[in-house]
Amino acid sequence: MRHDLRRLLDAASAAAPEAAWLGLRRRRSQTSYYLARDGKAEQSACEYDEGVMLEAYYDGQFAYAATQDLSPEGMARAARSALAAAKAAAGRGVHRFGLDVRPASRLGWESERRLKAPRPADEVYGFLFKACEALKAGDEVIQTEASLVAGSYDYEIVSSAGADIEQTIHFMGTGLQSIARRGELVQRRSAFGPRGLTRQGGWELLDDARLLAEAGRVGREALELLGAENCPSDRRTLVLAPDQMMLQIHESVGHPLEIDRILGDERNYAGSSFVKLDDIGSLRYGSPLMNVSFDPDLAGELGSYGADEIGNLARKEFIIKDGVLVRGLGSLESQARSGKPGVADQRASDWNRPPIDRMANLNLEPGDTPVEEMIKGIEKGVFMRTNRSWSIDDYRNKFQFGCEYGTLIEDGRLTKTVRDPNYRGISSSFWNNLCAVGDRASFEAFGTPNCGKGEPNQVIFVGHASPVCAFNDVEVFGGEK
Amino acid sequence: MRADIDHRKRFEAARDALFAELRSDEAAALAFEAESSDFMRFNGAKVRQSGSVEQAHAKVKYFRGPKSYAFSLGLGGDPQADARALAAALGEARATAGLLPDDPYQAVPAAGDVSDSTRRGKLPPAEEIPARVLGPAQGMDFVGIYSQGAVCRGAANSAGASHWYESDTFLCDYSAWLPNGRAVKSSYAGREWDGAAYERQLADTRRSLEALHRPAVELKPGAYRAYVTPDALNELIVFFSWYGLGEREMRQGESAYLALREGRESLSPLFSLEQDFSLGVEPAFNDDGELAPERLPLIERGKLVNTLVSSRSAKQYGVASNAAGADEGVRSPAIAPGSLPEADALKALGTGVYVSNFHYLNWSDPVNARVTGMTRFACLWVEGGEIVGPIKDMRWDESIYALLGSKLEALSAERRLIVENLSYGGRLTGGCLIPGILVNGLSFTL
Repeated sequence: MRHDLRRLLDAASAAAPEAAWLGLRRRRSQTSYYLARDGKAEQSACEYDEGVMLEAYYDGQFAYAATQDLSPEGMARAARSALAAAKAAAGRGVHRFGLDVRPASRLGWESERRLKAPRPADEVYGFLFKACEALKAGDEVIQTEASLVAGSYDYEIVSSAGADIEQTIHFMGTGLQSIARRGELVQRRSAFGPRGLTRQGGWELLDDARLLAEAGRVGREALELLGAENCPSDRRTLVLAPDQMMLQIHESVGHPLEIDRILGDERNYAGSSFVKLDDIGSLRYGSPLMNVSFDPDLAGELGSYGADEIGNLARKEFIIKDGVLVRGLGSLESQARSGKPGVADQRASDWNRPPIDRMANLNLEPGDTPVEEMIKGIEKGVFMRTNRSWSIDDYRNKFQFGCEYGTLIEDGRLTKTVRDPNYRGISSSFWNNLCAVGDRASFEAFGTPNCGKGEPNQVIFVGHASPVCAFNDVEVFGGEK
Repeated sequence: MRADIDHRKRFEAARDALFAELRSDEAAALAFEAESSDFMRFNGAKVRQSGSVEQAHAKVKYFRGPKSYAFSLGLGGDPQADARALAAALGEARATAGLLPDDPYQAVPAAGDVSDSTRRGKLPPAEEIPARVLGPAQGMDFVGIYSQGAVCRGAANSAGASHWYESDTFLCDYSAWLPNGRAVKSSYAGREWDGAAYERQLADTRRSLEALHRPAVELKPGAYRAYVTPDALNELIVFFSWYGLGEREMRQGESAYLALREGRESLSPLFSLEQDFSLGVEPAFNDDGELAPERLPLIERGKLVNTLVSSRSAKQYGVASNAAGADEGVRSPAIAPGSLPEADALKALGTGVYVSNFHYLNWSDPVNARVTGMTRFACLWVEGGEIVGPIKDMRWDESIYALLGSKLEALSAERRLIVENLSYGGRLTGGCLIPGILVNGLSFTL
């Protein structure tokens, strides 16, 4: 345990002797942002932050006090405040927790990365300007945008019971976007959606050659969409690329399986779930081809970590096995409340928010169908890539999602590009129509730093990896007035 | 947590420390955000999580010659330590700025205005929150969040501007649920806690729940007349900011309102929207220390009359700034009232859906200004002006040019002030003043 944290924990313990347990979670972060638009510098910034959330336990109830005052006096004030809040809530809590939900784990963990030294700002802009050039594939491209976000945050957890955890997350995100216009028609194309290219790792993720090739493709496809037909409106087989599967998994598998949602905590804000507690262990969630894992240890995926933020050590677990729901996305607290098996997923967006059930990395395991073979087997379908629009009901059942780019599948062949492709469905039937799962060659990991949930609100990193997948009999449609 | 904390002094100390470090060829703008908050999250009228958050952050825009850079940092509260941290970050900014390309649209703040708004409240002691909030709710399946405390915003720049905004508020944002899964959503907010008023509000909620005991009505996809309450319409307000009415988004093809700007589409002559800081729910200054006009018409009788223009866009496009923020989003929006008395809404609706709340809206086709979303909470089927029962939630998909244009029949004469309830990163300021709307043919799709 770091000496300064021990000193702060000692100060807290002395100030709140009635607390049966105290825990301290410090988080420090530094993030740099660079944005170029139309080949000109638009925004360059750096954010630094540091703070502590102190938790006190009294009579079966936890409560917190979060502060940036990292002096012993500041910790003492926080401890008194947290203890007072725990006392005020004791006997009124949703559950009388035991201290087994705050394990005394010991761990050091850091994201895997190869290149640690940051590229200087002039080199970063050299790349961004080249990317804007590549994104400007023609005169009809009216806006190009290239951005880079690079940062790290570390969090340390110590407790009066002996927990001692230090984790450091390094990440980088790249954004590439072209907007093209012809007459009244405007089309936007991006590299894997808004901030979809966010991964854990070091500066090796700024792979100039690969990203510039992506920028060229994005620019060309933005122009191509201007001449494309509208996506047809009918029912057909839907094939989704991994950069749309990310969203499909997130909204219609991840959120409904969060046990705190099933327990009703989120009913006033993010919503509940169509899944009931009794479904865990028996519900046929999808076709037998569906295998979904909680995998916090997939190197480079955005939601990787060694322990969650209450100190529970994380490991891979199957959530859905051969189409059957076997486990929920619930932390030790949710497991204690529900009596159902869960995972190490109690996470917080920052030092100033209490941890709640989250997804981390939630992945669809690869199957054994090569994508070419998958397409050959489809008589009438559409292949959609890159999320553009997302909306789902508060039980995570009725959804409507839109993509940037579509390709018709006719008699086993990819034929015409179509614009404004959308689809809608109901989670419980949609996943049972999963008819093909791509092999490992099509398996790709993406992540989003923008998952919102919780009261007070929190936005957090999650990762989703998936192969290309096909679904039977889906309602698809295009854009219209 | 700290009753003695003085955020204003922290802002002034940070401001003075930062500007004292600047060299003669440098300029800067400082934005300051702070809060002292108590939170209690509840489920089933019991405490799920509770505690307090003290935080303050400084956001600095730094300018030297044609170079621009920004940085932000948390402030721990010790003035000397905070001054050292600001100076260190400024030193890093100088080093980085030297490596950056020139910023062609740099807008160095020139406004030197001063403003001050401090509104004190009367809030419950933190240790009494569980009893005061949950006590009167016993017997209900009561879910949501109670938050209270001071929210502060400051802005200053090296041209001499200095602004302060501080407001003590509370917000109980809740829903009450029946075992059949139906619920009523509401909130109780203000500056001075009134236990009797809160109990009256909960009594109203209990009465509203009674209508939800009736059997649910399952609608088929199709177009239905709808009365959209102010609470539901509030979910649409963000769509004036996201791909919205900002000048940069208009110029660069990102706005969903290009057709409105170019005269190819219009909204209803009944519909007018303005930015109105007289609502008093957020400051009129932006992060650069620029004061926006108290009122700025945006859409008048269905026509776009102004976009939101930041100083940066003003320089880039050669138009006048109206002191919009960097994101050129709408602040303190107010929609003009109509003539339909709210008490006559069901009668005017006749047969259709009374929409209490929307959920999870998103652009489905921005070029055509189409939005999709869900109905949520206590949406009711109405026949002949009488409530029949709650509906099963439906997905809808509609163009704003229809919803607020060709299909807009009426707006309510009364408007509701809805305060911001979001707290990403910190408790946000803001709110809107909006009526309900009567729509002839909301398109339900699933």
